[in-house]
Order: sequence, then structure tokens, then C-alpha cells
Amino acid sequence: MVVSRLQYIRRRLLLAVPIIFFIIALNFLLIQIAPGDAADVLAGEAGSATPEYMDQLRRKFGLDQPIYVQLLTYVSNVATFDLGFSFRHNKPVSELILSRLGPTLLLMVPVLLISVSMGILLGAIAARYLNRWQDKTISTVVVLTYATPVFWAGLMLIVLFSVKLGWFPTSGMEKIAAFHTGLARIIDIAHHMVLPVITLTLFYIALYTRLMRASVIEQNTMDYVTTARSKGLGEKRVLWGHILRNACLPVLTMAGIQAGALLGGAVVVETVFSWPGLGLLAYESLFARDLNLLLGIFFISACLVVLVNLAVDLLYASLDPRIELK
Amino acid sequence: MLAQKIQKFMSLVFTFGLVMLMTQQVSAQAVPKASPTVTPQQGGTLVMVVQPEPPTLASFLSTAAPVGQVATKVYEGLLEYDFKLTPQPGLAKSWKVSPDGKMITFKLQENVTFHDGKPFTSADVKFTVLDVLKKSHPRGMNTFRALEAIDTPDQYTAVFKMSEPAPYMLMALSGYESPMLPKHIFETGDVTKHPNADLPIGTGPFKFVEWQKGQFMRFDKNPSYWKKGRPYLDRIVTRFIADGSTRAAVLETQEAHIAGFNAVLPVDVRRLEKLNHIGMTTSGYEMQSPIVELDFNTRTKPFDDVKVRQAVAYAIDRKFVVDNIWFGFGRPATGPINSNFKANGLYTADVKNYNVTNGIEMANKLLDEAGYKRGAEGVRFEITHDITPYGEEWRRFGEYVAQQLGKIGIKVTLRQEDVPAWLRRVYTNYDYQLTNNWIQTLADPVIGVHRLYHSGSIRQGTVFVNGTRWSTPETDNLMNQAAVETNPKNRAKIYHDLQKRIVDASPIVFVHELEFVTVHNKKVQNFLVSPLGLYSTFDQAWLQK
Repeated sequence: MVVSRLQYIRRRLLLAVPIIFFIIALNFLLIQIAPGDAADVLAGEAGSATPEYMDQLRRKFGLDQPIYVQLLTYVSNVATFDLGFSFRHNKPVSELILSRLGPTLLLMVPVLLISVSMGILLGAIAARYLNRWQDKTISTVVVLTYATPVFWAGLMLIVLFSVKLGWFPTSGMEKIAAFHTGLARIIDIAHHMVLPVITLTLFYIALYTRLMRASVIEQNTMDYVTTARSKGLGEKRVLWGHILRNACLPVLTMAGIQAGALLGGAVVVETVFSWPGLGLLAYESLFARDLNLLLGIFFISACLVVLVNLAVDLLYASLDPRIELK
Repeated sequence: MLAQKIQKFMSLVFTFGLVMLMTQQVSAQAVPKASPTVTPQQGGTLVMVVQPEPPTLASFLSTAAPVGQVATKVYEGLLEYDFKLTPQPGLAKSWKVSPDGKMITFKLQENVTFHDGKPFTSADVKFTVLDVLKKSHPRGMNTFRALEAIDTPDQYTAVFKMSEPAPYMLMALSGYESPMLPKHIFETGDVTKHPNADLPIGTGPFKFVEWQKGQFMRFDKNPSYWKKGRPYLDRIVTRFIADGSTRAAVLETQEAHIAGFNAVLPVDVRRLEKLNHIGMTTSGYEMQSPIVELDFNTRTKPFDDVKVRQAVAYAIDRKFVVDNIWFGFGRPATGPINSNFKANGLYTADVKNYNVTNGIEMANKLLDEAGYKRGAEGVRFEITHDITPYGEEWRRFGEYVAQQLGKIGIKVTLRQEDVPAWLRRVYTNYDYQLTNNWIQTLADPVIGVHRLYHSGSIRQGTVFVNGTRWSTPETDNLMNQAAVETNPKNRAKIYHDLQKRIVDASPIVFVHELEFVTVHNKKVQNFLVSPLGLYSTFDQAWLQK
């Protein structure tokens, strides 16, 4: 039964609620498997502790409660959008996540946009000149960038462009000692963004290029393309006017999946470039057994994935009129 | 992808663990001193790399090394120390110990103000020590256990009254170990959950301005600092960079000026010291005195037998470990007390020596005597060896130990987990046989050493105490005596006896005294003015333009 767009959106969002709660409960229980708790970590970092100190910490964190009580408390808090308190950082979890969300998006959005658009472009070119030198060059380069470990690529870029040439800063989001404001700050951040964005883009571009290339090759065999050619349209018109829109669809699906992964998956780049993003925060909070923070990040990720999947499905329907919302 | 993530896991985990050891030997190193003829230049921003990012600025609740590096710019202590480990005036301009050792009268500096303008008085000292440090500081509960009361006859006098003499207490009054807090701020509210934990207000040369988590902390010059004309720097910015190679890169490009506590990995240090603008020093860690050890589980087979423990002690070539695994940064250790304490006579090298050339032979003999004969394939028995989850060196150290023990017929399986899992296994579940470890032995043996060998420190669930669960009534007695002995010569004698006994029983193999490295830009002057190193206030530091 075909439904209106609004009804579709409402139904999907309602379905999302139990899914997200299930994800939270599952994550919570999975984390419990890891031995050791936040009190162990904090005391371990302090380099020394007394039993009273550790008991004090455990009481403060609520770790002396049975597990099901902890889970219930957490889930009921999330239902009221209270993501809890990070005892390690001494701040509410929502505040921590919001402060790191900005830098993460600053990295994610350009990477996604550039890699998808460049991927589509390069993939189309490679497919157009199939097996000729353009295709061979693009395919080889793309395999190389995909195969290179991300942290190594990042470090090599730093060595070349920062240490040797001095064109870009080595790390961080802005020049600390300068305390820029306004336009100068924007330029400064953009300057710092270049290397990390390039590093990540190099990796993701490979995915979209290969996908687009395969997709265009497939579309080339379709009837409508034969029709267009027999009408006398030039190759360029056939490719850019007709094939492109159809070939894009798999790439968009992939981009939707990657958007969710990028949120937490940029850990390596964030580490190498000391970029204050969510990936690094999640990674550190696992080793610190900072449960509230970790679960908060999982929650945000789950919500984002659900929303992005919804957006991709809607986009599909608008791009391809044959697809109906059910 | 997974392999890279594991690699990143290693370096991040190393950073977590890196909070625990430091030490340097003063006599062997040239100590950079302020050249009296060069006038310090005013101004400039010092950029310091701190690894890992401190979890908090509340140094009265956490003694982690990164916390110490930042909080000490804001808070100060009653005393400072010189390189002979003798106390010097800090916020206390003079002090007198009573003949029976049970009373110390401190006279405070006058006209000192906190960053919010309120005066620093003896009421703040009383509040800080009795209400905060003695109750909630991880070591304070032990350091101040003999302290019963503090009298404040006037605003610049604080009289400490103890139930018994406590000669070690005077070594624990630095701005790192016992920061002086403002009573008017911390007396309201729960000090363990206080909003000012991360908004510190102290008497130090720098004021806290902001903390962008994951990026940096900023401290500006305190214009009304009580030492006139200081500090020379306008600002200190501490940067947090998770990747080791990137940390080396920022020093190379001069984006940062100084990084200590092995923030720059030893392999990069050797590379960076060849650059013209980079200097390095292993001095400034004398009050931390870390020792790398192998801990036995002395309550289960096979390490409940002293002969087996001694055999393992013989099998390790300490010089090899220092030179090849730690890139030459370290000194072979002889016992539970670091050789830094030669400076005040508490250390002795006159103990059983396991670092001999025929170590493997001796080890084999002992194991035969203990009844563990070689069986099939020459193996006497098998064990699992846990590796401290702090980074590359520790893994290689574990591999080396496995190799050496293989030579004496012990088959070793290595196991590595992350920090909380490892802490849980060793200090709560006691579910291990042999683990490597490193412990700060701190500014006085009572503070850092007793907790590892005293029966009273066998506390399940508490980390970095007596995890081997070894003790004897004789050594307990010696430690109890040393804690209250005020005569330095007698104290030294007691500790010499203690060292002999512990080394004989070998509940721990003492491998080497860890050396930390501070890598700095040569423009940075006068940052090393006391054995506290990067834990000092940097009030004398300046940047050459």
C-alpha cells in the first residue's frame, strides 16, 4: 500500500524508538563483559589508592548497584534525554558530546561531500573510457589509496607537508598560542582541516569510485541507453544526462552507510592529527570504562544511523520515480 | 584496518598507563642551573605537550602524572625541594620540628593571595590538610595518618600536632603532593564532586583560564603573584596529542616547546636529540623514582617457593633490558629503594646481587634444588606472564623475559589486556602468576615503598599496593620502626636491613630504575629548578626570543 511521505516518515520514526532502546540495552550488557571498572582506571591512573578511596569512587559512580538496577536507571534517564554524568571528565555527557560533535562534523561533512562527488566523477570517467589509460590510471591509484593504512598516510602527509615543507600545521584544530577570533579563526581552522580531510578522503574516494564505475558499466547495458544512442545522442550526453542519475543510487546507499560509520570511525585520523572528535572520545572512554559517556555516544550514533537511513530512503524515492514508499 | 586499530590501541593504552613512574639520578647528570649572568626575558607563551590528557585538574583527588604537570602551575605547596632532597621554603617561609618530633610549627609567607584576591592564611592550610588531603587524597590518607590536629594561633602560623613522629611527612608537602586549597571555595559542597575541581583557584604563578577537552589548557600569568617580578612567562598552554609520532613532530616543527614523562617516545628522542634546536634531559624526576619490576604471585605455585623466585631474578640481564628495550634510558636496579636515595643515605647497594654474569647457571641450579626437574623438551613447568598494558617497550620486555625463562626451562605464555582489566586481574582477583609492572617509590620510602611490602597493605581491590601478598613479621617491624625514627643515621640502618631482607626473599624482581626524558626546545630556560621537574610551578621559566 503506497503511503504519503509524511506517513512514511512518522512510521519509520516510531519504529526507530524500540530499535534504539534495544541497541542501548545490548551495548550496556556488552560493556559489562569487559573486566575492571571506572574506579580501577581512576585509581590506576592516580598511581596509588587506598581501599576507602576506591569504595568512595564506586559509590559515587553507582557501581555498587546490581546490574539490572544500573541498566534500568540508565534507560529511564535516556527516555527523558538525560544522558548522564561522566565522572571521569566531571561534566554531563550531553555537554561533552556536543562539544566534540562540532569538530566531528567539520571533518565528516567535507570528507563525505568531497569523496562522494569526486568518486562519482572519477568512477564515471573510468567507466566511460573503460580499459583505456584513463580507466587504468584511476583504478590503480584508487586501489593504492584504499590499501594504504590510514594512519600511515596521515603520518606521511604530516612528515611531508608539515615537517619538511611547513605548509600546514602538524595537528590540532587551531593554532593554540594565537587565540584567533572571527574570520582569522575560521581561516585558521580551515588551514588545520586540510591534511586530516585529505587523509580520510583518499581512503573513502576509493569506495565510491569503484562502486560508481561498476554501476555505470552495468547501466551501459540497459535498454534505455541503447535507445538513447540509437536516437543519435552523443556519448557525453548519454553519460551525463541519462546514466548518471541511475548509476548514482548504489553510491548513495553506500554514502548513507558510511555517514553512520564516519561518526565513530575516524578514530585513527583523530588520533594522528589530534583532532578533538567523537571517535577518539569513544575510544578513550572504553579504556577508561566511562560507561555513561560510551553509552551516550552509542546512543547518538544509533540515532544518526536511523535518521541517515531514513534520509537515504527518501532521497531514493525522489531520485527514482519507480521507487514507492511503502 | 584492524591491524591499524590495534596499533593505535597500543599507543593509546601506553598513554593511559604512563602516569606511574619517574626517576632520575642527580649525581650522574649535569643539572641545568640558572646562569646568573643571563637576565630572563619577560613574555611569551610556553607550549607544553602533556600525555595523556589529564582526567581532572583536582590534584587533591588524583596523583596521576598528567594532573601533576598542569595543576602545579596553579596550586602551590608549603615546601619546595632542592636537588639534595632537602626541603626549601615554599608557602611556608620557615618551620621548626619539636625535639620529640611530634610537633611542626610552620610560619607562612605573608601577603599571599589566591587568584580571586582573598588572602592565603593558616586556616586554608588547616582546611586543606585535615578536611581534604587526609580524607580524600589517594596518598594523603596514609601520609597524614599520624596527624591529629593543626593549631592556628594566628593567620600566619600553623602548628601540626602528631600522635607519633613522622619524618616522612616533610617530604610530602610539595605543590604536587599536597596543594594548598582555598578554604572559602572548597568548604562549601562536596570536595569530591566540587564544581571548582576543574576551575582551580590557587596561589600559583599562573591562573587557570580555559580547558578545551581533547585539545588544550590555557594558563595566564598571575599579575599579583607573591614572588615579585615572577613569573616571566605570559602564558602556558598545554596541548594534548594522542599519537606518539605527532608529538615528536610538533617539537620538531617548534609548534611546542617542551614535553616530559616520555611524551616523546624513546625511539623518537634519540632521533630528535640530533636536531640543533632540541635539548633533552633525564633530570627532574628524582622525587618520583620509578622502578620496573617483575611481580610474583607468592601465594600460589610455583612462585610460593623463594628459590624459584630467586632463579627468575638471576635469569634477567638488566643491562640488556635497559640498553635494548629502553634505548639506554635507565639504570639496573638492586632493590626496593631507588639509588636516588643515595643522596640522603637511605639506599644501600650491599644486598644480594642477582645481576651476575653466570646468572643462567645459578638459576638452573636453584630450580633443580627446588625440585623442578627438566622434563620433556627441557621444560620444568609452564606459566602465564602478564604484560603491563602501557605500550611497546612492555611488550618487548615481556618477550625478553619469556626468552630468558625459556633458557632455564620455564615455558612462558604471554598475556596482555587493557589497563582496567589488568588492574582487576592483578590487584582484585590475584589471578596471575608473573606480571611486569612499574611503581613510583616517591619522595620517601614510607610513602612509596612500604605499601608494596607491608602486611597491612594487602588490600584486595586497591591498586598499586602489596599485590604479591608477601610479608614477614620482621620486615613489617622494620617498616614500622623506620616510619617513626627521627634520627637519620638510625633510619638509614633500619632501611639497609630492610633492603637486604626483601632482596633475599625476592617477592619482586627489581629490574631497572626507569629514567624519564624531558625533550625541550633550547629556547626554554630555567624550567628545571628542582627535583620536581615539570611538577614545579615554572615561575622561573622563561623563553629566549
